[in-house]
Amino acid sequence: MGIQKDRVRFNVGGRIFETSSTTLANAGRNSFFGAIFDENWTLQSGHSDEYFIDRNPDCFAVILDLLRTGELYIPANIPEKLLYREALFYGLLDHVRSAKWGQFDGNRLRLSKSITGQAPGDGTAIRAGPDGGCCVAHGSMVHVYDWMLEEHAPITLDYQRVNDVGWIDSQNIVISVCERLGRGDGGMGLFSSSTGELRDKFQVNHENQVKSFTAGALSFSSDYKIFSSCKGRSNEYGIGVWDQVTGKQIDFFYEPPGWSLGDADKLQWLHGSNCLLVATLFPRKDNCYISLLDFRDKKMVWSWSDGGAPITVDEKRVRDAIAMEENSSICVVNEFEDLGFMDLRSTAGTIRWSSRSRLMKGNNMPDEPCYPKLALHEGQLFSSMNDCISVFCGPEWALTSRLRRSYGGSICDFSIGGDRLFALHSEDNVFDIWETPPPPII
Amino acid sequence: MSNQKKRNFQIEAFKHRVVVDPKYAEKTWNILEHAIHEIYNHNASGLSFEELYRNAYNMVLHKFGDKLYSGLVTTMTSHLKEISKSIEDAQGGLFLEELHRKWDDHNKALQMIRDILMYMDRTYIPSTQKTPVHELGMNLWRDNIIHSGKIQTRLLNTLLELVLKERTGEVINRGLMRNIIKMLMDLGSSVYQGDFERPFLEVSAEFYRGESQKFIECCDCGDYLKKAERRLNEEMERVTHYLDAQSETKITNVVEKEMIANHMVRLIQMENSGLVNMLLDDKYEDLGRMYVLFRRVQDGLLKIREVMTSHIRETGKQLVTDPERLKDPVEFVQRLLDEKDKYDNIITLSFNNDKTFQNALNSSFEYFINLNARSPEFISLFVDEKLRKGLKGVSEEDVEIILDKVMMLFRYLQEKDVFEKYYKQHLAKRLLSGKTVSDDAERSLIVKLKTECGYQFTSKLEGMFTDMKTSQDTMHGFYASHPELGDGPTLTVQVLTTGSWPTQPSATCNLPAEMSVLCEKFRSYYLGTHTGRRLSWQTNMGTADIKATFGKGQKHELNVSTYQMCVLMLFNNADRLNYKEIEQATEIPASDLKRCLQSMACVKGKNVLRKEPMSKDIGEDDAFFVNDKFTSKFYKVKIGTVVAQKESEPEKQETRQRVEEDRKPQIEAAIVRIMKSRRQLDHNNIIAEVTKQLQSRFLANPTEIKKRIESLIERDFLERDNSDRKLYRYLA
Repeated sequence: MGIQKDRVRFNVGGRIFETSSTTLANAGRNSFFGAIFDENWTLQSGHSDEYFIDRNPDCFAVILDLLRTGELYIPANIPEKLLYREALFYGLLDHVRSAKWGQFDGNRLRLSKSITGQAPGDGTAIRAGPDGGCCVAHGSMVHVYDWMLEEHAPITLDYQRVNDVGWIDSQNIVISVCERLGRGDGGMGLFSSSTGELRDKFQVNHENQVKSFTAGALSFSSDYKIFSSCKGRSNEYGIGVWDQVTGKQIDFFYEPPGWSLGDADKLQWLHGSNCLLVATLFPRKDNCYISLLDFRDKKMVWSWSDGGAPITVDEKRVRDAIAMEENSSICVVNEFEDLGFMDLRSTAGTIRWSSRSRLMKGNNMPDEPCYPKLALHEGQLFSSMNDCISVFCGPEWALTSRLRRSYGGSICDFSIGGDRLFALHSEDNVFDIWETPPPPII
Repeated sequence: MSNQKKRNFQIEAFKHRVVVDPKYAEKTWNILEHAIHEIYNHNASGLSFEELYRNAYNMVLHKFGDKLYSGLVTTMTSHLKEISKSIEDAQGGLFLEELHRKWDDHNKALQMIRDILMYMDRTYIPSTQKTPVHELGMNLWRDNIIHSGKIQTRLLNTLLELVLKERTGEVINRGLMRNIIKMLMDLGSSVYQGDFERPFLEVSAEFYRGESQKFIECCDCGDYLKKAERRLNEEMERVTHYLDAQSETKITNVVEKEMIANHMVRLIQMENSGLVNMLLDDKYEDLGRMYVLFRRVQDGLLKIREVMTSHIRETGKQLVTDPERLKDPVEFVQRLLDEKDKYDNIITLSFNNDKTFQNALNSSFEYFINLNARSPEFISLFVDEKLRKGLKGVSEEDVEIILDKVMMLFRYLQEKDVFEKYYKQHLAKRLLSGKTVSDDAERSLIVKLKTECGYQFTSKLEGMFTDMKTSQDTMHGFYASHPELGDGPTLTVQVLTTGSWPTQPSATCNLPAEMSVLCEKFRSYYLGTHTGRRLSWQTNMGTADIKATFGKGQKHELNVSTYQMCVLMLFNNADRLNYKEIEQATEIPASDLKRCLQSMACVKGKNVLRKEPMSKDIGEDDAFFVNDKFTSKFYKVKIGTVVAQKESEPEKQETRQRVEEDRKPQIEAAIVRIMKSRRQLDHNNIIAEVTKQLQSRFLANPTEIKKRIESLIERDFLERDNSDRKLYRYLA
C-alpha cells in the first residue's frame, strides 16, 4: 500500500475519523475493512482521500478504539445492543465478544449480570455454550440466550419434561426429555440454537425396532458422539450412543442386572481413557452407582456403589460426582458439601471424605435447599451449595473463593463455558452470569 | 349494512406499520445485480464497495435475504453458462488455458461478490442453513462447467492425454496442468477423485500392465528393476508437481502392483540375471534396488529372503560336504568366513542391514555348518593356525577382527563342547611347544569364549595358562636351589594339573641317563615343596635342543622332540642301530617311534640319520646310522615331527567317545538342577528344558537324556510317579 497511503480518512455519518491501515488490518480479511482495502476494490471515494460510511459515528469510535487497543470500552450513552449491531455490520462482532470479558479464572470472577425469565416453576438445568451463550431448562421448555444475552426462540420437544440439555457447538443444542407413553413422543432432539427449529430427532432401536424412550443425562465426546442414559420399557435401560453427524444410533450399553445406568443423573466423557463416567445418585435410586464404561469392548472398567454398606448415623450420601482425569480420581460431594475422593486406579473404591464442611456449619439452611453440584474447569473445582459456589484449587483442593449473591435463593445448577460461569437459582427464575474481567492495563 | 354506512366517520384503528417502498427490494437488488455483471465483465472499477455492502446489508436487515440469495444464484448461474460456452468453443490446446483463465476470473469475481454479501454470509446463511457464498460459487462452477456434458469428458481426456505424453517422454506444460488439477481439488475431494483420480489410476494401471509385459520380455532382471524404479520415481515426481499429495500412495500402489508384485517370482527366478546370479556376482546396486522395490509390495522381502536362504544353504552344504575341501581345514574355515563376509556385505550394502535378513543368514549358516561333524575341529584348527603363525605382524585390531569372526562361526556350532575338546588339545600343544604368537590374542579369545559360554566353559583353559606361569616360577626355584647344575644339560619342566589338560595316555619312554638323573632331582625338589602330589612324565610332549657334531666336524644345534632326543642320544654310543634295538632301548610306542624316525631319516634337509634300505617308510628291519654328510645352511636346525595334523580315523573316534563321555555328567547335572527346582516334571518337558539349558554347549540327544534319567532313577535321584509313568519326581 505504500507509506503515503498508510493514513486513512473516513467520513462516518458526517464525522471525520483518521486512522492507519495497520490499525484497520487488525480487523482481519473477513470484515468490512478487510474487503474495502483488498486490491480488488480500488477504493472509491467521493472526495480525493475520504471514504464515506453511512453508519453511526459514536459506535464507530468505540469500534475503532477496539481495533486500536484490543480493548472494549462502551460509554454509558451507547446502548450495548446498538454497538453489537454496528459491530455486526462491520463484521467485527467476534472482536467485540472476545474483548468483552477476559479468560476464565475461578478466583477472579465478577458478577456481570442477572437475567430474570418468565418461565413458571423451578429451573432444571443451565448449560453454558461454547461462545458465551447459555440455555436454561424449565419444565418442558429450554430458553436460549446468545452471548449478548439476547433471548432466542425457545426449544421444546413435544412439550415433554426436559431432563438435560447440552451444546454440541455454538449452533446446535441437544435436549433430552421424558417419553409420552404410547405416542412415540419425547426422547432426544437436536435443535438450532439461533432459530430453535428441530434439526434431528434421535431414535433408539432395540432388536431392529424403533422404540420410544425417556432420555436422561447427556454427554458428548470429541469424536462426535452423543451419549445419553435411556429408559425404555422394562429391560430397555442403558446408555445409548449416537453419531452427531449422521444422527444414527451406533451403540447401546444395556444396564446389567443389579446395577443402574438408565436412571443416571450424570454422564461425563473422559477423553484420556476413552471411557464414559455414569453416575446414578441418591435419591433417584435408593443407592448410588458410579461406573466407568468402555464402549470399545463393552466393559464396565470401574465401578462403585454404596449399596450394602451399613447406614451410619452421620449418613453421607453422594449427591454429585465428577471424574478428574489428571488426578485419576473421582470427586464426589454429599448434601453437607463435604468433598470426597475415590481412586480410579484401584477397583475396590472407598470414599476418602475431607472434613471441609465445618466451614459451612452454622449457616442457616435456606427454606428450599438444593443438592450440591460439582464442576471442574482447568484444574479448578467448583461446588454449589445453597446460594453460593465455592472454588477449590491446588493439589489439596484448598477453598480459594466463594461466589454469592443476595437474592434468588438456592443455586440448583451451574455451568462453566465460553469463559463464563452461569448459576441458576431455584427461586424467582433468575440466573447469574459471572465473568473474569479483562486483564488490567499494566 | 345500513348501520355500517352510518358509521363511516369512524376513525380507523391506528396501524403501526411502517410501509417500505414496495419496489425497494427490487431496486436494491438491481443495483447489486448490475454490480455482479460488472464484476464478471472486469468492469468493477466504477463500483463503490461501501454502497454495495450497505445495500446488501439493508436487504438482509429488511428480511429480503431470500430474494438476495436466490438472485445471486440466478445471476451467477447465467454468467457461468456463458463462460461454459466460451470454454467449449476454445480450440484444441487452448481448451485448458481458457478453462484456467475463466476459473481465475470466476474466483476473483466470487471473492468480490462475497465481500459485498459478507453480511448475508454471516447472518442470513447460517440461520437458514443455506450454502455459504464461496461454496455456492464452487458448486455452481462444478455443476455448470466441470460437469457440463461438453466439457466433462473433454477435460478428462485432455488431462489423461497430457499425462500419457509426459510418460512417453514429451514435455508438457506442468504449470497449467497443476492449475487445472488444483481447480479440481478446490471443488472438493469428490470432484478430484471422481473426475480425475479414479480414471487416472485406471488408465495408469493399464499403461503399466502393458509396459511391464514389454519390459519383462526383453530386459534382464537388473534392467527391469532400473526401469521400474525410474517409473516409480517419475510418478512420485508427477504427484509433487501437479497432483494431490494424497494420490501418491494410490499411484505408487498401481505401479508397484503392475510392475513389481505381478512379476515378482519371475524377476527373482529370471535366468542368468535373477536373484541368485546377483548374489553370486555381488551386484550390490541391483540387489539394493530389488530390496527397495520389493519392500514396497506385500511379501516382496519374504520372497527375496526365501530364495537367498535356500541359495546359501545349498552352496553352504556343498562347501562343507565337498571331500576336496575337507583336506585343508584352514582353507575350509577361511572359505566359510569368506562366504559370511560376502553375505554380510550384501546385507549391509544392499539390504539396509535388515534384521530379518541377518537372521535368515545366521540360521542358514547354523544349518549347514552343523551338517559337517568336523566343523568344530576345523574351526579350532583354524584358530590354531592363526595363533601359531598366522597372526605374525598383524596389528592388534586385525587380530581382534579375525578372532571375532571365528567367534561368530563358533556361535553357529551346535556341538560347542566338541570344539572345546579340540581347542584344549590345540592350545595345550601351542603352550607346551611355546608356539603361540601372542599371549594377548590367546587370552582375548578365551575372554570371548567366556562371555559367550560362561565361566565353566573356559575355567580349564584358564587353568592351563596358570600352570604355564607357575611352572616358570618352579623352574626358577629349582635352579636357585641347585646351583651346581649350571653346566650340565638344562631341564625345563612344565607341571600340568591333571584334568585341566587333555591327557593323552602315554607310556613313559626311557630317558637317557643324564636326563633321568636330572628328572629325579626335579622330582625330589618339587615333591619337597609340594606335599601330597604325584608327578608323572609326559615324554611324548617335550622338546629338546641338542648339540651335534657330524662327520666333517660341522656343528649344529638340533631342535627335536623328547622322543627324537632319546633316539639320537643312543648314537653317542653306537654307529649303527636297527629298529628293534632302538625300540628296546627307548620303549617309545611303535607309532610314535616310526614317525620320529621317519622325520629324522626320510625328510630332505633334516636327515640327520641314514637308513637302510633307503625308503620312505620305516620297516621293522631297518637299520639306522648317523648321517655324517648332513649339511645345513643354518646352525640351528629344527627337526620337525611328521605330524598327523588332522586326526586319524581312530583318534577321531576316540575324541568323539571322550566327548560323549563328558556329556553324560553334564546332562545329569542339568536334569538334577531342573528337577530340584521343579520337584516334578513329565518326560517331554524334561527333555525340552535340558535341551534348552545345554544349548550353549551342545545339542543334547533325547535318547541320551532318557538314558541319563534312567541312570539317575537307578541311583535314587529321581523316581517315577506310580500312577503316571511319564512323570518324574525329584528325591531330595
